[in-house]
Amino acid sequence: MLRVEGVHQRYRNGPPVLDGVDLACDPGLPVVLGGENGSGKSTLLRIAAGAARPAAGQVRRPGVVGYLPDRFPARLRMPPDVYLRHLAAIRGVSPAPELLDRLGFSGPRREPMSRLSKGNAQKVGLAQALGGDPGLVVLDEPWAGLDAEAAETLLGLLAEVAERASLLVTDHTGRAARIAGARHLRLAGGLLRESPPGAGDTVGPGTDADLAEPGAVTAPLPATAIVLRCPDPEAVARRLGVSGRCAGDRLHLHVPATRADALLLAALQLGCAVESVGPV
Amino acid sequence: MTRALAVARYVASDAWRSQRVLIPAALQLGVLAVLFGGDPGALPAPWGASVLALYPVAAWLALTLAQTEDPVQRSVTVAAAGGPGPVAAGTLVVAVAADVLLSTLSVAWPLVATPYGASPATVLTGLLAHLAAGLAGTAVGFGCALLPRIGWSLAAGVIVVLATAVQPWLPPVGAAVAALETGSGSLIVPVGVALLLVAAGTAALARRS
Repeated sequence: MLRVEGVHQRYRNGPPVLDGVDLACDPGLPVVLGGENGSGKSTLLRIAAGAARPAAGQVRRPGVVGYLPDRFPARLRMPPDVYLRHLAAIRGVSPAPELLDRLGFSGPRREPMSRLSKGNAQKVGLAQALGGDPGLVVLDEPWAGLDAEAAETLLGLLAEVAERASLLVTDHTGRAARIAGARHLRLAGGLLRESPPGAGDTVGPGTDADLAEPGAVTAPLPATAIVLRCPDPEAVARRLGVSGRCAGDRLHLHVPATRADALLLAALQLGCAVESVGPV
Repeated sequence: MTRALAVARYVASDAWRSQRVLIPAALQLGVLAVLFGGDPGALPAPWGASVLALYPVAAWLALTLAQTEDPVQRSVTVAAAGGPGPVAAGTLVVAVAADVLLSTLSVAWPLVATPYGASPATVLTGLLAHLAAGLAGTAVGFGCALLPRIGWSLAAGVIVVLATAVQPWLPPVGAAVAALETGSGSLIVPVGVALLLVAAGTAALARRS
């Protein structure tokens, strides 16, 4: 469980980067954070992970934290296995070198990490952040530099991790839109707002060409109409991070078609029944 | 505490791989070889010179240890350790271990390599004087590590060491050297002041952004 309360941060002579940010993140309810370049996402993640102190505000986090910075250092002198062993010992957990194999790590494991390619170095960074059953996982652009296969594996890994740990992720490749049951938030002007994916946030100009669907930016997204039956429709809409019409125990939603599957899965996990799904 | 020791093992391993800590250590060994190679005279007075040498050497070592990791690498370590406190404490453990090692070597060298012996009390005095200088150097090195550029760190370190080492009344280093050379004066105050300084330096290191 992660609680960020009233966090402020500013850099010298600049406007506030974070201007009273509140954020709650629990196991089973991952948070995907969006925002423009320089909007303060990485600053917020550093503070959430405990790697930086806020100028004001409170952060409560579990004892074991996995953190991946936006540019995992490529010039480390240690070999990958030695680095993972040391970081696990610092966390007080057992090392998980098998994560490297799952991610398709193909570099030398007993030579300095400075000889690794960017993608392989990123896999070491992911293995240190995800290994050892952390209570909070904070990943800044985890898909950066990964090949397509490793990117898919990472989605599966994140689904496993999110069941037991609070998960906070930034992403501009659009892949995080497929994390089931995630809340999507956007950081702008130093404040967090709810922001369902597809609203020009996670998919937009300048995203990785291999993943952004052609036409996703210019053409309007096809929408899907969903009717859910749930005990407390308003609470469900809030937790799903969508706005919809509540009528009795029914929740009527219009969501982008690309998001419908993930949203349905999340709704089912929240105990709702699906009454109908169809084109708008 | 367990985390601090795990950080200490990590920092020691990383610093050893970087090999930058070898330069100050080699410098101290060079000073000892020159100092005790000929006829230095009866102990404890010759230890005054090795104490003076250990002060900047320990500062250089501590600065190197505190900057072994680049800032991004350190942010990962700090998050893993649960805050900057255990990371600063782990760095301190490695720096103090190096101080103890170099102090012991400096005290033992003339006992082995020269015909002059020393009573256990004199040996203890020599050891405490070296430790006071080593810990004070560690505190100066940690303080210099807070400056944003290595050039400023170097300038600040040189100025602080030069200004504080040559005042015979000033604990810890000036007073420790004076105590060795005159053969009188207690080392409790220099060691106590050095411990306070190194505690303050470590606390400052833990506040580093």
